[in-house]
Amino acid sequence: MRTRTLRRPLAGLALALALTATAASCSSSDTSTGGPTASPGAPGTLRVLASSELADMTTVLEEARRATGVTVRTTYAGTLDAVEQIASGRAEKEYDAVWLSSNDYLRLRPDTAGRITGETPVMTSPVALGVRPGTVARLGWDPAKVTWSQLHRAVADGKLTYGMTDPKRSHSGFSALVSVASGLSGAQSALRDEDVERATPKLRAFFAGQKLTSGSSGWLATAYARRTDVDALVNYESVLLSAPGELTVIRPSDGVVTADYPLTLLTAAPAAAKESARRLTTYLRTPEAQRRITGTTLRRPVVAGVDPSPRLDREVRRELPFPGSRSVADGLLDAYDNTLRRPSRTVYVLDTSGSMGGERLTRLKEALSELTDDFRDREEVTLMPFGTAVKTGEVHTYTVDPRDPARARDAIRVDAGRLTASGGTAVYSSLAEAYRSLGASPRDTFTSIVLMTDGENTDGMAGADFDAFFRGLSEGQRRTPVFPVLFGDSDRTELDRIAELTGGRLFDATRGSLDGAFEEIRGYQ
Amino acid sequence: MGFREHSARVRRILGIVLAVLLLGGVAVVLVAGGEQDKGTATKTVRGVIGSEKSEFFTDPDVVKALDARGLTVATETSGSWDMEQLPLKGYDFAFPSSKGPADELRAAAADKALAAPLRPFYSPLVVVAHSDAARVLAGNGLATLNARGTSGILRMDAYLAAVRADRTWQQLKGADRHAELSGTLFITSTDPVASNSGALYLAAASYVADGGRVADGKEAVGRTAPLLRKLTQVQGAQQTNSDAPFRDFVSGVGNPLVLVYESQVSSQLIADRPMGDLVVLYPDTTVNSDHTLVPLTEGGRELGRLLAEDPELRRLAVRHGFRPQGASPEFAEAAGKHGQYLNQTLTGVRQAPVPTGAVLRDMARRARDQGDTA
Repeated sequence: MRTRTLRRPLAGLALALALTATAASCSSSDTSTGGPTASPGAPGTLRVLASSELADMTTVLEEARRATGVTVRTTYAGTLDAVEQIASGRAEKEYDAVWLSSNDYLRLRPDTAGRITGETPVMTSPVALGVRPGTVARLGWDPAKVTWSQLHRAVADGKLTYGMTDPKRSHSGFSALVSVASGLSGAQSALRDEDVERATPKLRAFFAGQKLTSGSSGWLATAYARRTDVDALVNYESVLLSAPGELTVIRPSDGVVTADYPLTLLTAAPAAAKESARRLTTYLRTPEAQRRITGTTLRRPVVAGVDPSPRLDREVRRELPFPGSRSVADGLLDAYDNTLRRPSRTVYVLDTSGSMGGERLTRLKEALSELTDDFRDREEVTLMPFGTAVKTGEVHTYTVDPRDPARARDAIRVDAGRLTASGGTAVYSSLAEAYRSLGASPRDTFTSIVLMTDGENTDGMAGADFDAFFRGLSEGQRRTPVFPVLFGDSDRTELDRIAELTGGRLFDATRGSLDGAFEEIRGYQ
Repeated sequence: MGFREHSARVRRILGIVLAVLLLGGVAVVLVAGGEQDKGTATKTVRGVIGSEKSEFFTDPDVVKALDARGLTVATETSGSWDMEQLPLKGYDFAFPSSKGPADELRAAAADKALAAPLRPFYSPLVVVAHSDAARVLAGNGLATLNARGTSGILRMDAYLAAVRADRTWQQLKGADRHAELSGTLFITSTDPVASNSGALYLAAASYVADGGRVADGKEAVGRTAPLLRKLTQVQGAQQTNSDAPFRDFVSGVGNPLVLVYESQVSSQLIADRPMGDLVVLYPDTTVNSDHTLVPLTEGGRELGRLLAEDPELRRLAVRHGFRPQGASPEFAEAAGKHGQYLNQTLTGVRQAPVPTGAVLRDMARRARDQGDTA
């Protein structure tokens, strides 16, 4: 059973990569932000901007192609990123349709209203908790009967920890936030600001148990697999059941938020593409396609008379209403970022060697300045510029004070503006210094290191020395990942290895922009 | 009314004559055979339709019937009230789900005479419920059910009183046996600002709440605004078309009470799809959705005429759960087979008249809190 569930998504991913026009690299395929510049309206081709977890639809879409002649060319993106692309009008230049887990979030944005038309829900999957079976046994739970209050209690007692995607970037994270806020506030209908306020102490206790955060569900699963101290994952039921390693799926008995995967046409799509989309959705709604969908992806069918896969529990759950106004949704996100979640602690290890002089340094300064507004309340930020070694005199640490958040942000901006380019490139020694500066005993924060470099290591510690250094760190310290940013002439292989070693992820600023990469990393901090 | 039925009869007779002629013509074409004729002989008409008619237009038999009558129809879906915001240049028709948006589309059309709307079929609004929920409603005087418990009447007065009192499922007798029945009691409807069924729901509710008066202006809207706001706000995010909440319902997720068009349910029944624990509740005061086609070109007009008058297309409309205008033995026969779910004669169901488009829109905006600021 286990090997089967493992092989399936991998095969799906491989096919997805083969189908994607310009699949960049394995590491970024699930959140690829730069779309392919495909020729518009190739006959029978539908260009779709899709949620990353839809990579598991490859087999079904291949069958759809054989049945309908419509080839789907998918580019994967996070929900927030996709919504931004639709709102800005960028999406309609490159795609005919969007296929997100849900359009609830999209609808809160009035600037997207005229840009979409024709939504066809294809399948459903609730957001749930996947818990290690050992933990379920230890807690003595009947998985069918667990409530949000019980989950809160277990977390507050230090008996349950979990990983979840960033609600600002991913729909599964946001749905989880809505569910837990509804469940713990006792709200009887759609959430209001006062419900969130009332539930704040409980929510803070619940989010103290969140040990992993991520901008994408793919990386979340990888990071979870490395950790033995995280008991559970929050994600769609379908993703949890397909994840490597067995997880017991808990759909809290007092309510869930469910994604319904509407295939949604962009208003600007050419008529031929709209016709292709119609053929495709008609096919996907046939009983045989619905049976394949539930069988291969473990989502629930939306056509009468088709039973869900036997692996899916049939007991009905209350559906928790999704907030109906942007102010409530934004208020919830704001509360999560600035008061509910554990604070972030971040060291920016910044290459300011001689080669960074001129335009590159200007871009770095601009990107950092842009980034400062994104720092959350209570976040601790360290800028650590390096050349031949860490430029000790320029290393400063600031904490964003909720009472005066502008002060730290302004100071960081001033520091960034003073950066100068000089010296060699001591990548590994500087990384080691970053780990040392974070201390031997980890604090209760989301701790991470961002490494930005434009060249290869020339000074100080060699790669092998750093490996040894890293292995010598305490287990707690080794949980701090490095997120390297590929920029200028930096060496992809070297940076990939650092990400791999430390459990981080590589971000590519050579394709997109440096501030785009920094922004994306925020989801992981 | 008498006039309308009479003219419908005349039209039907004409339609039959026409169809016989047409069928003859098609037979000739087919016999004379040229597949090459097929591609060139038909005219393509493009239109925007409410999502609930999507499956009708993609039905191969409908496609074939239209093709035989010289038309290829290309459609895309949109919320009925969103249609006028779409760039309709290049389209041959718009086919919203009620008169209100159709009137506005006509008013915005370049050729108003051409855009005179046609109403080929209609469908009343109903509430689909899972049987546990329906039984709890019945046990608390909010609904009455037939002997098999598969169909019934929703008592709108009692329901609106429960909504006014912020009634939760937990407060209803018998709900405690079902964990999923918790939270505020409400019917899921679509976004009334964007979608027709949601707006018509408000029209029916305001009619009941205001003592059987049709809202005719700001003052009338103001009288029921707090209640309509409640009906809407408790739902949180609303979908913009009636297909999505129905699919959620079929999938076993979402709220146990969902407002849909009867056609969405009856099409499933007529196709002999197993409907699980479905219960169809007819609100004792409801609104008919008059599916109204606004022609924008001659081609669009021709399509409207065919849908209204052609017996074959009328029969196919029934397959998709619609009630053709005028006497329709086809619907009576199809619905008769599923009498345990469908109330074919709409016994015990009163029709609420629909306010004008402007009033309805005002009502919808205020319900969603987009009132005076919009």
